[in-house]
Amino acid sequence: MSAIANDEDAVVIVGSGAGGGTLAYELTSKGIPVVVLEAGPYIKNEDYTNDEWEAFTRMAWTDNRTNSGSWRIARDFPNLPAWTVKAVGGSTSHWSGATPRFKPHEFKARTAYGHVDGATLLDWPIDLPEMARWYDKAEIAMGSTHRHGRKPLPANNNYKVLAEGAKRVGYKYYATGPYATNAEEYDGRPASIQDGFNFQGDKNKSKWSTLVREIPRAEATGLLDLRPNSHAAQITHDARGRADAVLYIDENGAMRRQRAKLVAVAANSIETPRLLLLSASAMFPDGLANSSGHVGRNYMRHLTGSTFAQFDQPVNMFRGETMAGVIADESKHDTSRGFSGGYYMETISLGPAFLGKFLDPGAWGRGFTSFMEGYARTAGLWIVGEDLPQETNRVTLNAAVKDQHGLPVAHVHYDDHPNDKAMRDYAFAHTAALYESVGATRHYSTPPYPSTHNLGTSRMSARSEDGVVDKWGRAHDVPNLFISDGSVFTTGAAANPTLTIVALAIRQADYIATQLATGDL
Amino acid sequence: MTFDSTVPSGSYLNSLDEDATAKLARALRAIFPHDALAEGPYLRSAEAIAANVSGSPHQLGVVVEGIRSLEALVGGDLTAITIDDLSGILRHLQQTEFFQIMLTSTVVTLYSDPEVWEFLGYEGYSSDKGGYIDRGFDDLHWLPEPRITEYEGDDELVGYVPPVPGLQVSFDNTKKVATI
Repeated sequence: MSAIANDEDAVVIVGSGAGGGTLAYELTSKGIPVVVLEAGPYIKNEDYTNDEWEAFTRMAWTDNRTNSGSWRIARDFPNLPAWTVKAVGGSTSHWSGATPRFKPHEFKARTAYGHVDGATLLDWPIDLPEMARWYDKAEIAMGSTHRHGRKPLPANNNYKVLAEGAKRVGYKYYATGPYATNAEEYDGRPASIQDGFNFQGDKNKSKWSTLVREIPRAEATGLLDLRPNSHAAQITHDARGRADAVLYIDENGAMRRQRAKLVAVAANSIETPRLLLLSASAMFPDGLANSSGHVGRNYMRHLTGSTFAQFDQPVNMFRGETMAGVIADESKHDTSRGFSGGYYMETISLGPAFLGKFLDPGAWGRGFTSFMEGYARTAGLWIVGEDLPQETNRVTLNAAVKDQHGLPVAHVHYDDHPNDKAMRDYAFAHTAALYESVGATRHYSTPPYPSTHNLGTSRMSARSEDGVVDKWGRAHDVPNLFISDGSVFTTGAAANPTLTIVALAIRQADYIATQLATGDL
Repeated sequence: MTFDSTVPSGSYLNSLDEDATAKLARALRAIFPHDALAEGPYLRSAEAIAANVSGSPHQLGVVVEGIRSLEALVGGDLTAITIDDLSGILRHLQQTEFFQIMLTSTVVTLYSDPEVWEFLGYEGYSSDKGGYIDRGFDDLHWLPEPRITEYEGDDELVGYVPPVPGLQVSFDNTKKVATI
C-alpha cells in the first residue's frame, strides 16, 4: 500500500463497494494514485461466518438511522431502513449476484411511461447503446454466467421448482443467470461449491465482489491508500466552490483532513446524500451540490417482496447458489397489467433464523410455526421491480438523533406509489400461481426486507435543475466532485443495480482519467 | 446493585432464577409452539432473555412481573393449561412490553439454535463441509430437469425504440414501437 499524505492533494474516494471499489481499481490501473476512505473494517473472506445473525452483526451497516412513511419497514424495522454492508468491499460482499442489464426503455422512463401522477420520472441523459460497451466490460470483470463465454451454473433445487413453475404458467425467459458467480474457475477464482451462503459473504471467493477482485488488484498497483474504519464526515471546498478536502474520523476516533483535488462519493444511496447534506456551508447552505434541491430526494429501493411456497416433497432451497435462477418475462413494460415498468423473479433462500424474522415480521403462533416446520419443503423467490421516484421519498438529516461520532443520522422517508402497490399485488398473485402450478399447498407473501437496493438520491440529469450530477456522475454545481454509486440512478429500472453501478464506475473512471490528463479538472 | 443487609434479600430482583426461567420457557413455547421440539431450545431462548434483561433493572422487572401476572391469570401454574390455551391468553397481551421482549428476542435465538435447525431439516454451516456440490444441491427429483440456458427465441421483452426529438411515443403494449 502506498501512503498518501493528508496534506497532499489526492483523488479521494469515499466507499469501497461496487462503485468506489471499481473506481479505485480502474483509476489505479491507469496510474492514478487514490485514497479510499472506507467507514467499515477490512473483513476478509476467511473471516465470514455461515451464521446468519452473527454475519449480520459483523458486516451490516447498523449505525443508527431513523425512518418513516407508509412502508412496513417503518413499523417493523424503525432503525434499519436498509440492509447494506459496512466493510471493505461494501455491499458487494453480501450481494447475491444477479446481473441483468437495463432495457433500452428503462433509461428513458419519462418518455416510455409518460406522466405518472406523483412520480418524478425523468429520462437518463445516457442510453443503452452508449452503455453497451461498459456493460460488456462490467460483465467480463464480474464473470457473469451466460455472458462472454461464461458457463451457466447448474440447476439447484430451488431453481428446479422455479423453472418448472415458470414453464407451466407460460413463461419463457428463465435461466440460472446471468449471475456473477463462477460456474467454473475464472479470473483466478474457483468454481462455486454451491455452499448456499451469499448474504453472509462468500468464503469460497467464487462470487465476484470488489473485495476479491478490484481492491486487491488496486493494492497490487502500489497506488492505493486504503483506509478502513475511516468515516467521512464532511467534504470541504475552497473559495471558488471546488472540493478541496474530506474531513473524516479515523480508526482512533480522531478527526483528520485529507486534502483533495477530486472527490468521488460512493457511500451507497443513504450515506452519500447524508454526506453531501452534512457538507453544507455558507456558500452551499442547503448542502453541497444541492442547488437543485434534489440531494436526498427521489429515493428508490426497488419494489420487492418474496413468495415462499411449500410442497408435499422436499426442496431444501438452502442448498446451492442463493439467487442462481431468474425469470425475466415480467420485466417488460406492459401497462395492460395495470402498472408501468416491470419486475424480475429470482430464487431466494433464507435460513430459519432469517426466515423466522422476515417471513412476516411480528408473526407468531401455530400459523407461523407450522409454516416454519415445513422449512425443508419450502421454495422461495424474490420479486425485484422498478419503483417510481417521488420527491417526498427522501433522505434527510435527523438533527435530533446522533450517531457514535456525534453526527446527525440519516432519516429515510418512503411511501409506496400506487404503481408500486399495483405491481406488488400483481406479482404476489402471479408468483403464487406459479408455485401452485407445481403443486404448492401453501404460501406466504413476504413484505419487503430492509432495503438492499438503495438508489436515486443524487440523480443524473441533463439539466442542472433536474438533478445532482451530469451524465458522467459529475456534480452540476462542483466540477471536481463525482458521485459513483447507485445514488446517480435517474430511475431504478427492474434490474438488480450492481452491474449498472459497476458499468457506470468503469465509464466514469475513463472520463476522470481523461479529464485529469488534459488538465480539465 | 449492592446488597443491603437491612432489607430482606427477597426484596431485590437481581436476575431470573431457574424456576422463573423455566416458566419463561413455557411462555416462549406458547409463542412459537413446536410440539415435537424438546425443551432445550426454549430454555436456551429463555436464558438468553434472562441474560439480556439482567443489565436493565426496568426490563428485568417487566419480565419478572410479566411471568407473575401471567401465572395469576391462569390460576397459578403455567403448566396446568395447554400450550394453545396459554397462546390464547398471550394473544391479548401481544402489545405489552413483556410480550414484545419475549417475541423479538426469541424469534432470533430460537431459530438460530442448531437443535432447531436440525429439527426443521436445515443443515447449517456448509462452507467448511465443501458446500453442497456433492451433498445434494440438485437432488430434487420430483420435477423434470429444467433448462438452465436462456431462451433462444427473439427477445420480446424489449418493446422500446430510443426516442428521436419530436417523436410521439406510446406504449400500450410491449410490441408497440414509436409512431410519428
